[in-house]
Amino acid sequence: MRSKRDKLFLLSLLPLSLSLLAILIISIITMVLKSVDALQRFGFQLFASSGWSPENEAYGLLAPIVGSLTVSALAVLTALIFSLPLTIMIAEYLQGIVRGVVSSIVELMGGLPTIVYAVWASQYLVPLLKQFLMEPLHSALPFIPLFSCRPVTGFSILAAGISIGISTVPYVTALTLEAYQSIPSIYREACYGIGATRYESIKIMISLAKPAIVASLILGFARALGETTIAAVTVGNSMYLSSCLFAPGYTVAALIASQFADAYLYPYAESVLYVSILIVVLISVALSFYGSTTMIRWRSRIIV
Amino acid sequence: MYSWRMLREKLFTCLIAVLSLLAIVPIVHLIIAVLINGFTVIAKAGINFFTNLPPAPLSREIGGIAPSIIGTALMTIISLPITVVLALFAAILTTEFPRNTVSIIIDAVAKSLASIPTIAVSMIVFTLIVMPMKGFSALAGAIALSIIALPYAYTYFSTALRSIPAMYREAAFSIAMGRWGAVMKVLIPIARRSIAVGVLMTIARIMGETAALLFTAGRFRTGVSFSPTSPADAIPLLIFDYILSPYETWHQVAWGAAALLLLAYIVLFFATKLIVKEVKL
Amino acid sequence: MFAVEMNNVSVYLGGRQVLKGVTLRVPYNTVFVIMGPSGSGKTTLLRVINRLIDLTEGARVEGSVKVLGFDAMSYDPYELRKLIGMVFQVPNPFPHLTIYDNVAVAARINGVAKSRREVDEVVRWALERAMLWDEVEDRLHDYPHQLSGGQRQRLCLARALAMKPRLLLLDEPTANIDPVNARKLEEAIVSLKDEVTVVMVTHFPHQAARVADYVAVLYDGRVVEQGPAQQLFLRPTTDIAQKLLRGEM
Repeated sequence: MRSKRDKLFLLSLLPLSLSLLAILIISIITMVLKSVDALQRFGFQLFASSGWSPENEAYGLLAPIVGSLTVSALAVLTALIFSLPLTIMIAEYLQGIVRGVVSSIVELMGGLPTIVYAVWASQYLVPLLKQFLMEPLHSALPFIPLFSCRPVTGFSILAAGISIGISTVPYVTALTLEAYQSIPSIYREACYGIGATRYESIKIMISLAKPAIVASLILGFARALGETTIAAVTVGNSMYLSSCLFAPGYTVAALIASQFADAYLYPYAESVLYVSILIVVLISVALSFYGSTTMIRWRSRIIV
Repeated sequence: MYSWRMLREKLFTCLIAVLSLLAIVPIVHLIIAVLINGFTVIAKAGINFFTNLPPAPLSREIGGIAPSIIGTALMTIISLPITVVLALFAAILTTEFPRNTVSIIIDAVAKSLASIPTIAVSMIVFTLIVMPMKGFSALAGAIALSIIALPYAYTYFSTALRSIPAMYREAAFSIAMGRWGAVMKVLIPIARRSIAVGVLMTIARIMGETAALLFTAGRFRTGVSFSPTSPADAIPLLIFDYILSPYETWHQVAWGAAALLLLAYIVLFFATKLIVKEVKL
Repeated sequence: MFAVEMNNVSVYLGGRQVLKGVTLRVPYNTVFVIMGPSGSGKTTLLRVINRLIDLTEGARVEGSVKVLGFDAMSYDPYELRKLIGMVFQVPNPFPHLTIYDNVAVAARINGVAKSRREVDEVVRWALERAMLWDEVEDRLHDYPHQLSGGQRQRLCLARALAMKPRLLLLDEPTANIDPVNARKLEEAIVSLKDEVTVVMVTHFPHQAARVADYVAVLYDGRVVEQGPAQQLFLRPTTDIAQKLLRGEM
C-alpha cells in the first residue's frame, strides 16, 4: 500500500542510489571484456606456468596466484594467532578504562592507512623476521621444504604473509569480538552454574562462536587477497615459484602494481593482468558473500 | 598445592595475556617509530617540507612534499562530496524501504563493491577514464577514490539511519511531514553525530588509500598543480614509490610523509571519539 | 455526520489479520475512548485513521474509512495527516529540537503560522492548552531530555495541537508517565473537546470513566460493544466489557 507521494519519493532516490549498481556492473563488464583476449590467446596455459616477459609474449600466472593464496593463508593464520587471544582478553579479562583503551587501539589500527603499515613492515618487521624467525627456522629445520632456502633479503612470501596478517588483526578481531559478545549471557551463566572455571567457560564460549570465527577468518582471507601496498613492498617481487616460504615471490596485486602501468605498451600484457585480477575478484567476492551469510546465519541461530 | 585444573587456569591466562600483548606491541611500535622517524625528518627539513618539491634521488637536501599534500587535498575535496551524496542517497533508500527489491539489491551491491580489491578499481578507472582522457588526472584519481569509499560510507550512513528509533519517524509523519521533510528535518539531524563520524572516517579512508591511485592520479611531482584535469600526486603514492626506491634521501622523505599521514589519521580518529562522546538524545 | 466512520474495516499485517471487520462511528467534538486488552488491535485502529499504517511494509487495509468527511483510503495521506494530531504511547519529542522548536515545527509545516509573531503565539497557545506553559515558560530553549517523562508527553500533546488539528488521536498517552502528570493530561484532554474530536486508546477503566463521552470495546480485532459512556459503564452487555471495566483484563 503506497501513496503517490511515497512512489515519487522512492523514484527521487533511485537515480543516485542505482549508481552503485551501475559501478558494479560496469566494473565487472570491463574486467571480463579485457580478460577475453588473453584467455583466448593463451587458454589454460596461463595458469599452468610462471613467467612475465612481454617482449616474447610469454606469460604465466601460476606463481602470483599461488603466491596470493599462500600469502593470504599465512596472513589469516597470523591474524588468528593474535585475534583470538585479543578477543578473549577484551571480552573476558579487561574492564573499565583499560578495556576502553585496548578496544580503541584495535579500532585505531583498523582504519590505519595500509601504506603506513607498509613502511613500517619493510623497514622494521622484515629485517626482524629475517633475523629472529626465518634464519633460526632455516638452520634448525632445513630439511622441511617450506624452510629449505636461506633467507637472503628477508623480503619473501612469509614476510608478506605476516605483515598483511598484522594489518588484518584489527579487522578479524572486530568481527570475532562482535560475534563473541553477541552470545547471550545465559550460556556463560550456565557454564559458571555448573562450576566451570574461567578457562573451561571460555572453551565452551569459543566452541559456540566457532562458526563465526571461521567466517571472520574467511572474510579476513578475502581482504588479505586484495591487499596491494603491503604485499608490493614486502613480497620481494619474483616470478620464480618456490616451495620455500623464505624465497621472494609475487602476489597478483603486487604483480599488477609493478607491471600494469606499462602493460598497455605490449599486446596481451594488460589483458593477462586483467585475467589475474578477475580471478582474485571472483574469489574475494565469493568468499565475502559466503563469510557474511555464514555470520548472519550463525547470529540468527545463537540469539534466542 | 595447585591442582592441574588450577594450574591450567593460570597457564591459559598467561598465554592469553602474552599473545594479546604481542598483538598490541606492533601497533604501538609502529606509531612510535613512524612518528619519531618522521618528525626527525620534518624537523630537519623545517617548513620547507610543506612548501618545497621532492628532492632529486641523490640530493643531500630533504626538500618537501608540497605536490603530494596539494594533490591529496585536491582529490579528497573532489571525491568526498561525490561519495557522501551517493552513499547517503543509497542509505536513505535502503533504510526507508528496507523490504523493497531495489533496496535489497543495492545493499548486496554495496557489500560486493566493498570486497573488490582497490587495485582492481584502479585498473578499471585507468581503462575507462585515463585512457579515453589521454592522461592521468586528479579527477580520475578522485573517481577511483570515490568508488572505493562508497561502500564504506554507505555502511556508516545506513547503520546511523537504521539506529534511529521508529518512534521519531512516526512523530514526523504524524505532524504531516513529507518523506523528504522527515529525512532532512528529523532523521538526518537526529543521526547527525553518527553521520559526522561516517564522513570523518570516509575522509580518513580517502586520504590514506594508495592502490586506487597507482594508475589513475599520475605522479606529478615536479610542480604543484591545482587543476582537476591534470596529473597530480598524493601522499600515499609518494610514500609507496619512495619506500620501494633504493635511495636513502627518498626513504627519509617517505618517513616524513608517513608521519604526516599518520598524524592526520590520528587527529581524525580522535575527532570521531569526541563527537561520539557528546551524544545526548 | 461523524468525525470518523469505519465500515467493516479489516487489517492484515503480513499474513495475520489484526482487525476483523471493525465498524465504528465517532461523533464530532466528543472524547471517544477505545478500550481493550493488549493485542486487541487498538493501536492498529488508530494508525488506520491517520494512515501511519502505510509505514508498516506489508500491511493491507480493507473496508471503508471516512475521516472528517474524506475517504481516508484514497485521499493523499500527507494532506490527511495535516488534519489529525497524534500522541504516542512513549513520549517522542524530537530530541534535536528545543521545546519551542518541537511545537513550532508542527505549526510551520502545516501553514498554521508563518511570521515569527504568529509562531510565537501558536506555540504559547499550544503549550497552554497542553497545560505545560507554566512549567516551561522560561526555558523554551532547553531540550526535551531536560524535561520529566510526563512533561515530555505534554510537550507531544502541544506539538500535536500546534497543527490546529480537527481530530486528535491519543495512543495510551498516560501509560508511561506518573499519576500526577496523567491527571494533568486528562484535564487537558477534556478541555479540548470544544475544538477537536478526540479518539483515545486506553486500558485504564477509571481513566475512561473520567474522560469518555463514548466508549468502544475492542477484543481480538472486533468491536464487541460501543455506545455512550454512561450507558456502557452502567450496563455493559457483554462478558468481555464487564471484565474489562472491572479491570480484570
